[in-house]
Amino acid sequence: MTAPMLETARLVLRKPDERDLPFWMPFVMSDRAAFVRSQEPTEANGWRALAGIIGHWTLRGYGTLAFALKSKPDVTLGMTGPWNPHGWPEAELGWTLWSADNEGKGYVREAAEAARAWAYRDLGWQTAVSYIDPRNTRSIRLAERLGAVPDWDAATPHGEQCVVFRHPSKEALQ
Amino acid sequence: MTYAPTVETERLILRPNREADFEPFAAFCASDRARLRGGVKNRAEAWRQFAAEIGHWYLSGFGFWAVEEKASGAYCGQVGLWYPEGWAQAEIGWMMVDGFEGKGYAFEAAIRARRYAYETLGWTVAASCISEGNDRSIRLAERMGATFDRRFPRDGLPDHLVYIHPGPEALQ
Repeated sequence: MTAPMLETARLVLRKPDERDLPFWMPFVMSDRAAFVRSQEPTEANGWRALAGIIGHWTLRGYGTLAFALKSKPDVTLGMTGPWNPHGWPEAELGWTLWSADNEGKGYVREAAEAARAWAYRDLGWQTAVSYIDPRNTRSIRLAERLGAVPDWDAATPHGEQCVVFRHPSKEALQ
Repeated sequence: MTYAPTVETERLILRPNREADFEPFAAFCASDRARLRGGVKNRAEAWRQFAAEIGHWYLSGFGFWAVEEKASGAYCGQVGLWYPEGWAQAEIGWMMVDGFEGKGYAFEAAIRARRYAYETLGWTVAASCISEGNDRSIRLAERMGATFDRRFPRDGLPDHLVYIHPGPEALQ
């Protein structure tokens, strides 16, 4: 599959690659990544995590998207999009914003809406969930703004340390 | 999946991973033998490793190939060039799954990978980073002419013993 280049009013979204490394590494080593990383915050693990994100694209034919401002396409702000590694109960819509400086501007919401629309339109998704640590209040607020609501019956990949937010269905968004 | 070139030896094809390779790969990762090669992993962890090994090609321009037996088409394991962040040195690595050891396949594929490193990528030096206690792997490195250089400690895993291969000039 050819990776999409999605555009929103302010942002471009594309398949992650080596250009993201200098922006990804400080994020993945920082406390901002505490809710999303599965291993100790070392440079070795951070590098492999990005390699895994890229390999996910090869294995699944889709994956999460790096996003940047149209006016500054060389500065990656974060990632959002489909995430479905082995062992996930169902395909997820995830997001990360790599610097606190970019909070409060609605970038992640704008990017996540575009990624969700892509999953519904081109990947054939009928539903989408986001797996969020219950302590991650900013992420929970964003899920709510995206119209997602807790689905207490859905399976989680992380046991109790995870709330499943279910997004509005494809039809509901049309 | 064409993220990597395909190269051949007399008995083997070194090619990109295929989806079906994951099962034998995950079985190796779950086995006791993985203790001396990156640590034992459950299926979810093995999948992420499998994905990261593909991503290594995109980030570095080289990585591990799946090794396929020409005669049967069977997946034998993986051999390749590996240098992720935090690694001691750019290396030639190998792993044969159960049933494909003792045939000289790892040697045959590793020699080809070394040639690819020197001739195609222009490496001037190549190492093999082997977990302390993996005597079989050490014997293979020595058979390739590599010699022990130094110890490289790792968090929560056995130390790596870094073996250095003969350089491109020495092999001509």
